[in-house]
Amino acid sequence: MNDFSMKDVLKKNIMTIALFVVYFLFVFLALIFKGTNMLDPSNVASLIEQNAYVFILGTGMLMCMLTGGNIDLSVGSVVCFAGAVVGLFSVENQLLNEWFGKWEEQILENGDTVRVLIEPAKPLSTPMVLLVAFGIGILYGAVLGFLIAYVRIPPWIATLAGYLSFRGLGTQVLAKASATNAISNFPTSLTGIFTGKLFPTPWGVANVPCIMLGVAGVAAIVLINVLGRISRVKKGYSTEPVWFLIIKCVLLSGLVMAIATLLSLDGGIPKVLLWILGVLIIYGIITEKTTIGRHFMTVGGNAEATRLSGINNKLILFAAYLNMSILTVIASLVVAARFGSANSYAGQEFELDAIAACIVGGVSAYGGSGTVIGMVVGAALIGVINQGMSLVGVDQDWIKIVKGLVILAAVVFEIMSKKGKGVKK
Amino acid sequence: MEGNSVVKFLRKYMMLIAMVIVMIAFSFITNGKTLLPMNITNLISQNAYVYVLGTGMLLCILTGGNIDLSVGSVVCLAGGVGAIIMDKNIPWPIAVVAMLVMGLLVGLWHGFWIAYVKVPPFIATLVGMLAFRGLANIIMQGYAYGIDNKGFLDVFGGGATCYVPDFLAKVGPDLEFGGYTLNKTCMIFAVLAAVGYVIFTFYNRTRLIAKGYKVDSLAAVIIKSVLIFAVIIWFGYKLACYNGIPTVLLWIALVLGIFAYITTKTTLGRNLYAVGGNEKATRLSGIDTRKVMFSAYTLMGVLSGFAGILNIARLAGSTPTYGVGYEMDAIAACFIGGASAYGGTGSVGGVIIGATLCGIINQGMIIADTPVNYQKVVKGLVLIIAVLFDVIMQMRRKGAKKKTEAANAEKGGAKA
Repeated sequence: MNDFSMKDVLKKNIMTIALFVVYFLFVFLALIFKGTNMLDPSNVASLIEQNAYVFILGTGMLMCMLTGGNIDLSVGSVVCFAGAVVGLFSVENQLLNEWFGKWEEQILENGDTVRVLIEPAKPLSTPMVLLVAFGIGILYGAVLGFLIAYVRIPPWIATLAGYLSFRGLGTQVLAKASATNAISNFPTSLTGIFTGKLFPTPWGVANVPCIMLGVAGVAAIVLINVLGRISRVKKGYSTEPVWFLIIKCVLLSGLVMAIATLLSLDGGIPKVLLWILGVLIIYGIITEKTTIGRHFMTVGGNAEATRLSGINNKLILFAAYLNMSILTVIASLVVAARFGSANSYAGQEFELDAIAACIVGGVSAYGGSGTVIGMVVGAALIGVINQGMSLVGVDQDWIKIVKGLVILAAVVFEIMSKKGKGVKK
Repeated sequence: MEGNSVVKFLRKYMMLIAMVIVMIAFSFITNGKTLLPMNITNLISQNAYVYVLGTGMLLCILTGGNIDLSVGSVVCLAGGVGAIIMDKNIPWPIAVVAMLVMGLLVGLWHGFWIAYVKVPPFIATLVGMLAFRGLANIIMQGYAYGIDNKGFLDVFGGGATCYVPDFLAKVGPDLEFGGYTLNKTCMIFAVLAAVGYVIFTFYNRTRLIAKGYKVDSLAAVIIKSVLIFAVIIWFGYKLACYNGIPTVLLWIALVLGIFAYITTKTTLGRNLYAVGGNEKATRLSGIDTRKVMFSAYTLMGVLSGFAGILNIARLAGSTPTYGVGYEMDAIAACFIGGASAYGGTGSVGGVIIGATLCGIINQGMIIADTPVNYQKVVKGLVLIIAVLFDVIMQMRRKGAKKKTEAANAEKGGAKA
């Protein structure tokens, strides 16, 4: 029963190992070539803050890909559009005044009439703005889901149309709202929800809540692993040896504590980290522990068999795209809050980053398999490559090429390892 | 029955009819500006890349709704290579060969991963889209290159002299019509093409009848021929009113001709349809489906290289931002032209209609002063509507099939 082998463990965690190898390689290179320390608390914190959107969009993309390798190419454009709408309603601007401001016709001395703004429109309160943003997300997701699941338009075409349309709409809103094609100075009541630190302390002073979160994380890791093992033993499944379990817990706890310590030195828990953790934990539970989560995988594994066993395939596909666009709105808020502004370039190539995170994280390009944790590792790897290469001073164009090759290598690796399994059978 | 055949006719020529309606609508909106000879000529030269890339994309889509997202980046890369070579005063034919080879290499690269390693096409070409754009930027080091090589510009239709010279200008009296002095070479070409089309149609019809195939009624064929004859003559007349035949039109016609032949008359062409229709059945009947996929992406690569040539010739230069969004235009042209998003159906003729319709909409919106951003929105909507149309048609066909099957089964049951 106990067919535990070190080789399998290494194989299974190859991307995690790659992540650490690549990370420390860049730490080393950055130190030698540029004299910068990638392990510096602020660099670690910015790694999280810069890549927050990848984790959130990657989670949504994961749910889509599970249902059969379906993707959403429109996320980047929707991030731009949602950001523009948030800006439109939360900051005073020309378009808002045009719509809701009080205007008066005045007659000039030479007899011409001019419209004069006598009272600018009041921006909406933050909760209302959030409501509008999520309303747009739900509406778009429902339309997209309907087209894909019920009308059976191939996902990449439906989302390609969204990719074009929403970039255009977003840019148009911004162009109408401001002469600079950007809305800035978002109210702090809005940006404060997604940026900054929770219970901040000055730089270099250990932040207690942050350490406590780390400790809680360690406790969770130990608890999940021990309880998981107990339940497996009870059910008679094969388990890993105790020494391995201990090593695993120690390594993971060490990692969590290291990150917590570094973050606590940089002023505390980044608020955006809480959002990321929230999304990841919720979707981790959905995919691993709930029936609905399993349905996403069975639809991707064998759609026909799933349908015949009484599961509503169309509803699952619909849910995947509805969910994707809601998460896209969250990502858009995170991004807009980070810059405190909305511009027409926001969200460019975000779809690529999200897809890359999934593919590198071992999510099958044909659907049916993939985990939130895998996606996190993939997103982190892409993030590390991005940060590492730019800290080392590599040109943006080379980063593009390397990113592309990493995605390709990950897919080929997945396909090859599946082929090997097929032969064994 | 009569009503049914009208519906059938409408369905078959839906996009053609849509094109005519859109054309008329825009000419009203813009007070006839879109139908000026100059704008008709520009319609061709501005959209040359859509025809070329659309043809390549059609090959990929035929194999099962697969696409190539990298074409925009490849156009940029190939164009960049060519521009740099010409910048170094190397003869332009070498640059042309280099651009085609660049496209070929990209095509081989994609074909290998997609056909033999079975990487999903959208991922392989997404990688290409990233990587080749990066590569183009690296090669060009972020600079823009101007092209002043007269030989190259003359041959591929760039700059001010991108028209076929009027060889017959001095023969006989000047042709004048509607206030324009016509380009005789162009007019003669148009007449030849129109007559050739009619002869070909009737030759084909008699051949099919001889072989015992079902053909359209003579009346329908005559109506169609007369219409297309008129369109070709009208189009030729519009070109003749301006500067004659744009050089680039010859290249487009060449590409479209070659690929119309490949898709309809060669084994490779039929195999493309077969793979898209039912890959497994095709493989089991002894066709190497991998080779078919490989050919589709290789040809797509070469055509991207060629589109790169036309692109830098028209713009007389190359910058690292060329080609952004070209993949969308090519894909839209295919779907509007009736290619199925699931593969197996589509034709070069359809691509011509799709690309032209896209071009008319684009140009019409530009002339009507529509903001660029709304143009994007309209493009997206047109794409969705075209695919929606295809999907609904297919659903109906399936529904009708099921109905007849059910009816047949009932009949069988009654007999038993």
